[in-house]
Amino acid sequence: MSTANDSAGARLILNIYIGLFCLYLFLPLAVMSAAAFNSYDYPSVTQWRGFTLQWFVALAHDGRLIQGLINSVAVALGVIAVSIPAGLAGALILTRLGQRSGTVLYSVLVSPVLTPGIILGISSLIFWREFGVPGGLFVAVMAQSSFIASYAMLLFLARLQRQDRTLEEAALDLGASHMLVFRRITLPFLAPTAFTAAVVAFLQSFENYNTTVFAIGGEWTLVTEIASRLRFGLSPVINVVGVIFVALTLVAATTYVLLSSRKKAR
Amino acid sequence: MASLFRAYGRGLGALLIAIATLWILALILVPLGAMIEQSLWWKDSKGEITLQIDRLYNDMATLQLDASGESDAAKKAGFEAQIAQKQAEATALEAQETNPPKTYGLANFTRMSGLHFYIFIRTIIYALMVTALALVVCYPMAYAVALASGPRKAIVLTVALIVPYAINELLRVYAWLMILDYRGVINGILGWLGLVDLDNRGWIPFLENPSAVFLAMIYTYVLFMVFPMVNTLETLDRNQIEAARDLGASSFRIHRRVIIPHAKPGIAVGCIMTFMLSAGSYSVPAIMTRGQGGDWFSQLVYRQFFESNNWNMGSAYAVSLLVVCTAFILIMMRLFGVGLRDIAK
Repeated sequence: MSTANDSAGARLILNIYIGLFCLYLFLPLAVMSAAAFNSYDYPSVTQWRGFTLQWFVALAHDGRLIQGLINSVAVALGVIAVSIPAGLAGALILTRLGQRSGTVLYSVLVSPVLTPGIILGISSLIFWREFGVPGGLFVAVMAQSSFIASYAMLLFLARLQRQDRTLEEAALDLGASHMLVFRRITLPFLAPTAFTAAVVAFLQSFENYNTTVFAIGGEWTLVTEIASRLRFGLSPVINVVGVIFVALTLVAATTYVLLSSRKKAR
Repeated sequence: MASLFRAYGRGLGALLIAIATLWILALILVPLGAMIEQSLWWKDSKGEITLQIDRLYNDMATLQLDASGESDAAKKAGFEAQIAQKQAEATALEAQETNPPKTYGLANFTRMSGLHFYIFIRTIIYALMVTALALVVCYPMAYAVALASGPRKAIVLTVALIVPYAINELLRVYAWLMILDYRGVINGILGWLGLVDLDNRGWIPFLENPSAVFLAMIYTYVLFMVFPMVNTLETLDRNQIEAARDLGASSFRIHRRVIIPHAKPGIAVGCIMTFMLSAGSYSVPAIMTRGQGGDWFSQLVYRQFFESNNWNMGSAYAVSLLVVCTAFILIMMRLFGVGLRDIAK
């Protein structure tokens, strides 16, 4: 697992460390998942009252959590709609700018990534109130997009660095319009990145709490609803939400590993 | 600008500039400006004006009483005039009361109470401690992932790191809440062993200790520390390690003289991200302590906005936090000699 240069003793210690680290990462998730199946109305694994699926049924009948899920998806789609075009525009401009003006623009455009989430939420809340828009799903979309657009831009920038510009220049020389070049060469080249960026944007938006909690006003997303419930105590229904997330992530990760190892084999 | 139009043509170039401008203005700079502006003014406290109004109404009631008992028409008219005058004064003050004038200044920053300032400083110290701990905990892991032999192992390790990260931040905190709660897993196990008595509330209150927040916070933000380090360590030429070893350097010395210097940009980026996330984290302290442990500054900011309803103070608190984070980023960039382009992957 480590370099061949390490001595056997050091390698052993490192492997033990990796094991402990993975335990630290996965044990809490395992505990959380197990408690979802416990027939005890406080989420626990030490007080085992028998296997049950009743909390899954309870989740299906929980109107506010279902509505929160719908709201979360709506916000995430809104974030994709705002941040992908913004990130794309930012990246396309930056790749063509000179070193100096490029650096200033770059600093402004990545600054949201380095800003604490609560500050993005607060500033959006104050800004939109000036226009009479109170906190809610719309302000949440705007607040989240401010930094998710930066992530999208970084992904596009990385892709554009590997672009062969001669292709575009050749097309222009041969008389293609800028629009045609953009549609037929630039966009297809960036399409896979746009997909990746959309997935990243969706995940970032869906799990976001620190920014959303300030911008959401009287409405709620799945995550803010869970958080406000935790103030009043724990419930196995939340564990069920956790199990669903863990399962979806594991499926996605396994697919990814299988796909990438097949790619390697080819 | 000209190069943009040359590359994308007039129409498309203008469209790109328009979108980017909108992003910068409506999502980044103007909201930030609005927050700073909000932090720089306040409306005078209503208490004193309300008192004045109350006094005026009292006077009016007395005058009314005097007027009704007065038979002399001229004196009565005098009372009436006084009442009308006081009424006008009161109306003017009431208008001020519902819409007090804005005053600009730095008072929102200087008015921060001793306790809040203490929490502010403590939050910064806690965030530094979380960052340092995360660095120590993550370094061996990053080293192992980056120098793992065989692409297969690297993939497996990377996925092992990504899986917990892909699960909701809040649910990761929730998992720790379950473990450390009064009737949580650890207390449950201790109860089995007969070390604590759960029936008589003899549990150990892990959640009331700041280290519970540390534990969950490192857990939540671990990846932001590991990945930047992995990225830089992957570019390390392994022959350097081998050469150092052949020349008789100990493992410790190799890390100190070869590997860590190479990993410096990654360490800087990891520390910047972890510090920023933990100093500004609302989710972890709010959920882990549930008001029973010590507050973090972000919780004060939240309360200013949604409980005291004092957006001006809240903004001032938020700006203070932003200043600290920016300062930390700039110091780290200077110390480790990294540029902004290194930070954003």
